[in-house]
Amino acid sequence: MKYLFTINLNLVCHVRTLHTSGWGQQQEAVAVESEPEPFSVFRTQETDPACQSEKHLGQFYTLPSAHFRPLFPHGLPYRYQQQVKTFNEACFMVRPPALEVISYLKKADYSKPALRYLFYGVKGSGKTMSLCHAVHFCYTQGWVVLHIPDAHLWVKNCKELLPSSYNSARFDQPLQATTWLRNFRTTNEHLLSQIKTKRRYVWTKRESTDEGRPLGELVNQGISRVKSSSDVVGALMKDLRLQSSQPGADFRLVVAVDGVNALWGRSTIKKENKSAVDLEELTLIHNLKKLMKNDWTGGAIITTLSQTGSLYTPKSAYLPQELLGETGFDSMDPFIPVSVPNYSEKEFESAYLYYLDRKWLQHPQSRTEDGKKELSFLSSKNPSMLDRICGFL
Amino acid sequence: MAASLSGLLKPWTPRVFLVRWSRYNPYYLEPEVRKEAYSQPESELSAEEKEQRELKMIRPIKAAASGVTSSVFSDPVLSKFINMMMEHGNKVLAREIMTQTLENIKKKQVEKYHKAPEGQKEEIECNPYTIFHQALKNCQPVVGLESIRKGGKIYQVPIPLSDKRRSFLAMKWLITECRDNKHRRTHMYEKLSQEVMSAFVHEGNVIRKKNELHKMAESNRAYAHYRWW
Repeated sequence: MKYLFTINLNLVCHVRTLHTSGWGQQQEAVAVESEPEPFSVFRTQETDPACQSEKHLGQFYTLPSAHFRPLFPHGLPYRYQQQVKTFNEACFMVRPPALEVISYLKKADYSKPALRYLFYGVKGSGKTMSLCHAVHFCYTQGWVVLHIPDAHLWVKNCKELLPSSYNSARFDQPLQATTWLRNFRTTNEHLLSQIKTKRRYVWTKRESTDEGRPLGELVNQGISRVKSSSDVVGALMKDLRLQSSQPGADFRLVVAVDGVNALWGRSTIKKENKSAVDLEELTLIHNLKKLMKNDWTGGAIITTLSQTGSLYTPKSAYLPQELLGETGFDSMDPFIPVSVPNYSEKEFESAYLYYLDRKWLQHPQSRTEDGKKELSFLSSKNPSMLDRICGFL
Repeated sequence: MAASLSGLLKPWTPRVFLVRWSRYNPYYLEPEVRKEAYSQPESELSAEEKEQRELKMIRPIKAAASGVTSSVFSDPVLSKFINMMMEHGNKVLAREIMTQTLENIKKKQVEKYHKAPEGQKEEIECNPYTIFHQALKNCQPVVGLESIRKGGKIYQVPIPLSDKRRSFLAMKWLITECRDNKHRRTHMYEKLSQEVMSAFVHEGNVIRKKNELHKMAESNRAYAHYRWW
């Protein structure tokens, strides 16, 4: 049964590449004929991002559930998380920006300083999803994943602000640091026991972490002792950065930051005397900025711009120059900008068929040609708008 | 009255025209919103339709109301429900609540569908529109009660209701039930989706209210002859 199905898929693949304009109608006909087969042409069996290539563009691949739970305790958009819960599966679309970055990651020379990739695009065009696709690739290759889900969350709505124990001029954010450390531990459980610390860290008079202890202990220390968690985060980042730069390192580090323009913007956190906190005074931001500099080797930095969570930026701004500002652009320069556009015709068709397959498009009119044209027009092929419109249809 | 005066009426609008009111001069004709009406070729029209078209070329047309669309997804029952839910003219909010309700219903049903074993998948209804329409139909009362005064006393007399009145009562009960009798911290779309899902399977407070009305009408059957229309 399985072999029959793979042969059929190849035949159908040929059909797809030859007849692209009549692809939609033929697609419907093929899906109806091959009813017993569970998959269609908009899906691909290739679940390993390393093996995906241009012929898989526009197709959905399912994330194995063994990868999904540890990889994404944070970092996915909220609406997508709800979609995963509803459909009982996590599917990513293979799109050109993510594929481009993955190909660069495969070919890069890791003895040179880390390359910085920046996804930019209009609101809802799929930047965070492309970042998560690249992070999945790095995870399958066994890299250490340092994924900050949204840097904007660290510069606003801070409930607890403690003066830092390490440097009295700075401020700590224990709550955000502990949640992040917990998620970091879930993602990198299998690697934390293998990597050892290179320096001795003293937290208080009685507590310290010696050289040569596994990193897992450091992380547990930060989670259990909430007061020193921001310093633990800083120590972790420094250690990983130094270790991956060494020529004998057996792991590579990927730093994935969503909403990187928060690091050079403004913050709404206020000190007790009602004056605004400068971004350099926050330990987490200070350490993250040190990571973003390309003075270390043996890894990559993948980032996304985000206007939605950003503070004091106009809604229409989406280009790197506008969102990063002068200081941000100068610090990030040189970087590789990757534009994330709205869906193309083929990708739109693929998304439409996926929703049909998962029984998400229920309105009888949405299955007609007129309905499809109207969906394309109303959403202007923007992925998040299409998702919102199909939600109630 | 409009028929007798239409000879005297001209395409006239007052100097100050209140756009939100629908008090147009009867000379103005209703707009045609459906796309299918414009794609019919000349040969398929009957004599009356040809006459209508001629008239539309001469007479002025009213502006279309903001609630009607030529979209294939427009639904008159849904538009009526949204208008009834609207407060202080905030149609945007009412529409948002309605779309969130439909999405919520669909989400719950599709989740159930994907988790159900193969044999039970056909029984699960995933279309929120069919669920909503069926729930409204289930809430519609068959007979209503009218207070009729006879011999100094007021009697509750069972009377037949028109279709419009029945659908209005169903929608009104659904909205008031969700506004008044639920926990205040839940969102309206959550309350509505719960009520609609229970009405779909003939449970819930709205169905109970309808049944109580039916029972009152049944118990007052003796007074039915007090109705004179």
